[in-house]
Amino acid sequence: MRLGAVIGRVTLSKTIPAFKGGRWLIVTPFTRDHFQHRREQPKGLSRDFSLIVYDNLGAGIGDTVGYVEGREAAMPFPKPTPVDAINVAIIDDVFYTPAT
Amino acid sequence: MLLARVDGSVIATRKHPSLEGWRLLICQPINGAGQPEGSPQVAIDPHGAGLHQHVVISSDGMAARKAVGDDHSPARWMIIAIVDETSTPKSNS
Amino acid sequence: MRVRAAAHDARLTCVDMYLAKVEGAVVATKKDANMSGRKLLLVRPMLVDDKDPTKFKPGVNTIVAVDSVGAGEGELVMFTQGSSARLAPGLRDAPVDAVVIGIVDSVDVLGKQIYSTKQQ
Repeated sequence: MRLGAVIGRVTLSKTIPAFKGGRWLIVTPFTRDHFQHRREQPKGLSRDFSLIVYDNLGAGIGDTVGYVEGREAAMPFPKPTPVDAINVAIIDDVFYTPAT
Repeated sequence: MLLARVDGSVIATRKHPSLEGWRLLICQPINGAGQPEGSPQVAIDPHGAGLHQHVVISSDGMAARKAVGDDHSPARWMIIAIVDETSTPKSNS
Repeated sequence: MRVRAAAHDARLTCVDMYLAKVEGAVVATKKDANMSGRKLLLVRPMLVDDKDPTKFKPGVNTIVAVDSVGAGEGELVMFTQGSSARLAPGLRDAPVDAVVIGIVDSVDVLGKQIYSTKQQ
């Protein structure tokens, strides 16, 4: 799981039945610098590309989320589903104290 | 697998049910010399790793699903070992 | 490329594989029970340099891989990543995503030998 900030939403006019009721978030991934900001929203976008993440937990813009990438992202679906990033946790608190 | 240092943890109330009760640790990938490489990953921790301990994390989702006991879990990164020591001879660098 | 101690398992021939330099080893007493007795190597992927294909370019990240062939520090090895790693002998139930499956003898790129253990 990686952490990221929700910066937007996507709605689809037409999609495959498996995604009915799901939401799509635009997420900018946290790099090491972003973790230093703790609860504040990191300024600006990450160096890493933003990505579209499937969401059925109900995250909104400004939330920090934990998302899983790769084949594991499709595991919660009952049938094989073409998803490669899914929101699995809406983060309440981040405790970050890197070693020096 | 990646060598990583435990740099913290995250708390999430709203999460996939399979992650209920699991420690979610922020793992910063490092090289043999302990220098950070790339972005932190959040991993489940079945071994009880402590802050700043060096660990090995694996992206084997099948093992993570087995650990949490849910075939439909999206869990992927998991701490699979706590490192005692790393040997990196200087002659190789 | 020719590889000594090639894949033990025919199923391993159709997966993502890379070359890497063994840069060290990791010792862990407390680890997943299915990994006991397994040596963990620190490897750095060696990619063919797109600017000069007669050279290797070290990758930017270090990877921990399970050893299945007795590789040592300083050696060039071949490793496989992803769930295919569990197909290596004895790793069916191990939580691994990278395994060293061969020790490289020599590498030819575009008709030129860019690596050989004989030169070392």
